[in-house]
Amino acid sequence: MARHDFLGSTSRRDFVKLSAVGAAGAAVGTGFRPRKAEAKPAQITFLRESSYVKEFDDHFKNVLMPRYQQETGIKLNYEIVAAGGSAVPRLVSIVESKAPVDSGWVQQEWLYREGLLDVSDIAEEAGKQQGGWYPEVKALSQWEGKWKSVPFGNIGQCMAYRRDWFEGAGIKKFPDTWEEFLDAGRTLKKAGHPYGMSMGHGYADNNSWLLPLLWSYGSQVVAKDGKTVTLDSAETAKAVDYVRTLYKDACIDDCVGWLDPHNNKAFLTSQISCTNNAMSIMISAKRDLPDMGKVIDHGLNPKGAKGRFHSLVPVTHGIFRHTSDPEAVKHFLRWLMAPKQVGDWYRSAQMYHAPYLRAYDKDAEWNKEPRFKPYHELLETAKLVSWPAPADRRAGEVVNKWIVIDMFAKACTGAATKTVIAEAVAGLKAIYG
Amino acid sequence: MNRALEAVRPAPRAVLAPRPFRFREWLERESVFSWLMLTPPLLFLIAFLGYPFCYGFYLTFVSRPVALPATFVGFGNFEKLWNDPIFWQAAWNTVRFTVAATILKLAGGLGMALVMHQSFKMKGLTRALLLLPFIVPTVLSTVAWQWILDPGMGLFNRGLMYFGLVTPAHAPSWLGNPTLAMVSVILVNTWRGLPFFGITILAGLQTIPTELMETATIDGAGTWNRFRYVTLPLLMPVIFIVTTFSIIFTFFDFQLVYVLTGGGPANATHLMATYAYVISVTTGQLGLGSAAALAMVPVLGLVLIMMNSYVRRA
Repeated sequence: MARHDFLGSTSRRDFVKLSAVGAAGAAVGTGFRPRKAEAKPAQITFLRESSYVKEFDDHFKNVLMPRYQQETGIKLNYEIVAAGGSAVPRLVSIVESKAPVDSGWVQQEWLYREGLLDVSDIAEEAGKQQGGWYPEVKALSQWEGKWKSVPFGNIGQCMAYRRDWFEGAGIKKFPDTWEEFLDAGRTLKKAGHPYGMSMGHGYADNNSWLLPLLWSYGSQVVAKDGKTVTLDSAETAKAVDYVRTLYKDACIDDCVGWLDPHNNKAFLTSQISCTNNAMSIMISAKRDLPDMGKVIDHGLNPKGAKGRFHSLVPVTHGIFRHTSDPEAVKHFLRWLMAPKQVGDWYRSAQMYHAPYLRAYDKDAEWNKEPRFKPYHELLETAKLVSWPAPADRRAGEVVNKWIVIDMFAKACTGAATKTVIAEAVAGLKAIYG
Repeated sequence: MNRALEAVRPAPRAVLAPRPFRFREWLERESVFSWLMLTPPLLFLIAFLGYPFCYGFYLTFVSRPVALPATFVGFGNFEKLWNDPIFWQAAWNTVRFTVAATILKLAGGLGMALVMHQSFKMKGLTRALLLLPFIVPTVLSTVAWQWILDPGMGLFNRGLMYFGLVTPAHAPSWLGNPTLAMVSVILVNTWRGLPFFGITILAGLQTIPTELMETATIDGAGTWNRFRYVTLPLLMPVIFIVTTFSIIFTFFDFQLVYVLTGGGPANATHLMATYAYVISVTTGQLGLGSAAALAMVPVLGLVLIMMNSYVRRA
């Protein structure tokens, strides 16, 4: 929480003026010019979920925090929440109890947009300075004409696979269509290397292939109007049948119940040949299992009749409405998103968070490990999990109750296609009315 | 002493003058001291149990999305849950989970206590080791169970493969198959709760006078009859208490399922607690989530009252 510790005779009003001048300078300018604030809060608390890439948090703590303190005299407090589901409860409790946290990675922001400040000026400015935003993320960050969060990067999800096993089975190129993916999976499973496609109650690795698959078959869960349930279609039935066959013919049995860490574990213990995941598998392998690290590769999600899709796992930063000094915290977020800061922060994690800012499309960092490039390419075809419906509370409820995921999981564990679709539609109608 | 002299003495006063107030004496009064002792725990209970419970009870009658004000909906939340198939699945799962795990813990705990009651070498150490599942933090032990139940690398399947009971291609999927996933969470809950039953019943066993056993033996009772007609009736109060506690703990178990399966696959292991958490926290409906959490309390209360009256009659 920004706590006031005004020094000398400078008033809070002066500080706001200084901030505004700084902001204007940055907006006009050829780069961000930090100012020495004379009146300032003692500290600003910034909260984030612990990053899978340690260097990312280290860079913030060892480079950005001291730099901000040196430039402004304001101490940053970096609160790290453990990864794996504890961030959302913490964020909900911060909003509800007005806990002393000023800003942070606002996961599932649709739950508490009312508790966030308008940060349109910061988002517009960062976009203008750095090549503009990828459009899809705007559907999350912009709400009722205002930016309620500033997009940061995408924790991309695509296919991680064992190139050596694929090549050993005569598959020289990663399958381009879902049908080819199934054929390859059949061959690999017979060779003792099944796929492991997560379908349990996780938060990313299940949605990231099942929703794109559904979309690529031409189905949508809810229409763009955010009211009409459109899941009950022939395309959905085809997608369900496909997943059932893929599960039986190509996958390890266990994957129907997997949470997000399970596929990493199965991949790194050589139990599976392919899964849908973030960069984390390769990062772990390169660090701990160098031989395996050499034979892992990544491929885009296969395409269906209606094209190729991916799902976004967005990282966005917001400011809590209850912060005691909104202008000071806005100044910090603007500073953080300025090229001097944000560029190196992205690079510190080898682009684990693929920037939503177009200026980084051709960043040299992407060439350091060409096998990470699919995580950049997928931004062109990635949609929010609510797509095409608005990313609101109801869409969040569909995702967090695993209604679509369970439709597929039930089909894989023996239920009829019609039944699972009917159950999912009933669940959707209970939410959308 | 002379009567005349006695007559001139001032008569003793009928009412004593009030003694000066002494704080220490006031403190030692039973009515004061007992309240002084009771106040801290009472305040603690009101702050950390009473207030959240009352607030939760209030929330069940309102629609209260995160970051938005509450609107009164009466029994609307309960009506919504009544029409929610996942709620009913979670309720049914909770009943199955609680009944199965409690029976297993009771049977296993009784067995454990009877064995621990015998004299053998390293008894103290064995008792201490048997308590481990209860001592280790649940999240930690559940992560270990994730590894144990892993289909390819896990201890379970490796063991089955070693003895030739399954082939690697047909190894059971402990957390992927909906039925086996429920069996797995019941087994892990039983493993964790067994020491609680074992140690408590053992404490009960140690209070049974040896004379009763000796008398029964002289009367010709065998091992089974001694257990059936002497040990078991005398253990009933302890068994009742420990079962009651276990039912409550098991009914509201959260950590184990949250870590092991997240309620999956396809809601096969979703319990009331995990579902209430999903509604409250990850979908941000605090009112509906509170209703889900409290909906089963009357049912649980009824079960406990019935158990209580049965034991009293018995």
